[in-house]
Amino acid sequence: MIAIEHLTKRIGETTLVDDVSMVVDTGTITVVVGTSGAGKSTLLRMINRLITPTSGRVLIDGQDTMDIPEDRLRHRIGYVIQGNGLFPHRTVAGNIATVPRLLGWDQKRIRRRVEELLDLFQLDPAEFANKFPRHLSGGQQQRVGVARALAAEPRLLLMDEPFGALDPIIRGKAQADLIAIQRRFGTTIVLVTHDMEEAFHLGDRIAVMNDAQLLQYDTPAQLLTRPAAGFVERLVGSSDRPFRLLSLAKVRDAMEPGDAPGEPIDPDVNLRDALSRLIWAGADRLPVAHGNDTATAHISVSGILSHGRPPQ
Amino acid sequence: MKYVGAIGRGLILVLLLIFILTPDSFAPLFRPLTENNAPPIYNQGSLLSLTLSHLAIVVSATAASAILAVGLGILVTRRSGLEFLPLSRSLVNIGQTFPPVAVLAIAVPLVGFGEKPTFIALFLYGLLPIFENTLSGLTQVPRVTLEAARGMGMSPGRRLCLVELPLALPVILAGIRISTIINLGTATIGSTVAAKGLGEVIIAGLQSNNLAFLLQGGLVVAMLAVLVDGALSAVERLAASRLGGDDTPKAS
Ligand SMILES: Nc1ncnc2c1ncn2[C@@H]1O[C@H](COP(=O)(O)OP(=O)(O)OP(=O)(O)O)[C@@H](O)[C@H]1O
Ligand SMILES: [Mg+2]
Repeated sequence: MIAIEHLTKRIGETTLVDDVSMVVDTGTITVVVGTSGAGKSTLLRMINRLITPTSGRVLIDGQDTMDIPEDRLRHRIGYVIQGNGLFPHRTVAGNIATVPRLLGWDQKRIRRRVEELLDLFQLDPAEFANKFPRHLSGGQQQRVGVARALAAEPRLLLMDEPFGALDPIIRGKAQADLIAIQRRFGTTIVLVTHDMEEAFHLGDRIAVMNDAQLLQYDTPAQLLTRPAAGFVERLVGSSDRPFRLLSLAKVRDAMEPGDAPGEPIDPDVNLRDALSRLIWAGADRLPVAHGNDTATAHISVSGILSHGRPPQ
Repeated sequence: MKYVGAIGRGLILVLLLIFILTPDSFAPLFRPLTENNAPPIYNQGSLLSLTLSHLAIVVSATAASAILAVGLGILVTRRSGLEFLPLSRSLVNIGQTFPPVAVLAIAVPLVGFGEKPTFIALFLYGLLPIFENTLSGLTQVPRVTLEAARGMGMSPGRRLCLVELPLALPVILAGIRISTIINLGTATIGSTVAAKGLGEVIIAGLQSNNLAFLLQGGLVVAMLAVLVDGALSAVERLAASRLGGDDTPKAS
């Protein structure tokens, strides 16, 4: 658990982060969103002490980060920098091995870990281990950046716009990979982005920042249905808000008893995709079932639509 | 093109070795340049030992410049050493604005004749290119790379040795190469204050109006410069290719 308490950063007259407090639960993804210059990176970089707070403190599992020597603290916290920051003079393997080497792991263990991570990110070790970063595509560089941050098995991962430079398809893939890795290792992740779509897709909780202040820190559904007046409301209140809400809920949340004719839908599909299927099939209702099981429930257009607005 | 250069340098090396080891075999070639039966080949000392002394003083002076200039470059690019930048710049610039001849003239009364004043002149003259290149090499390391190094828990010393210096190395080496080449030529004036070196051959030629001597001294210095330049450029390319450059090292 990370507890951020009254964190403030001032440089001269300007306040970059203004009295931010929030708690990030272990094993969750927290996304920090906000416009450019809102103070997101500054907040993130105060967690691993790349920036020293003017006041306030950060506790990791109850321990004040100021009590941990800064290099040791950073060895424990994975950091994916805005713009990837791979070392141009080191191979992919050398980049990934950075923190394990600093920690003095033996060669064999480092080599095993590097191969494991390359496999995890679907980069063939034989092909990629000895390449230099400039010979990789943007998507590959980004994956190596995340692999490098994960190398020493950190429990906490800080990511500053990790997918910013990727095209939509690669980006979707990278997000899916991240979720898979997070589920598998239970890593606590704090991720900064200015893309609302990404925030809703990845975040267990979303922190909205503007002008150095934390305006709202809530679950995606709460953010959509009960946005704080002003900036947050404008931010989430775009015309596709109902669709965002639908993509947060699953078919199993909206299904009703009784069979229906047609191709069955899996209960783990989100409601937005389910609605697409209904529209495309020209049906008012479709059966819900796992694979080839017989359906005992169905989903209907009206049932879905009721999830696209705040509960009464 | 690359191979032409390599072959050319190979030929020059062979020619140079033959010449300084057995200069007399070239006597027929230089005889037309002499008058009144003057000796066609430098005969007041061994060319080999003059060449070695010449190289020794250039290498030692440039090495000393490199140590100081790279050290200063590192110092003034640290946050704590930033205030020394103007001072270091002027120091290094003085070394370059004072012509080496003037440095010799000032140094001789202080340290006497011989190698010492020459060493001082070359040392001062070689500082600027190395210092400026160290500075630009270190400052052009991308900010995000440094930030990443810090974010992964590298101490300042490790950042310098593992990230900054390796990335700046090709540029620093270029500075060292430039200083070495300049000093190879400049070292000839050392002979005016009795330092052993190839300048002796040239001066002997001037004094006795012997065109052959003049040419021999000049040619040996020029060939050394071409060879050293080629060798140091190859080292630079090797260092650059370590940075993941596209020009992978080929036998050149
Ligand atoms: N060292 C500094 N001195 C003064 N102002 C700074 C400094 N570093 C950042 N700022 C300013 O602080 C504000 C917040 O910066 P920060 O990098 O945290 O924003 P951000 O939310 O990450 O923006 P982006 O989405 O563009 O990355 C910006 O207006 C920036 O210009
Ligand atoms: Mg930022």
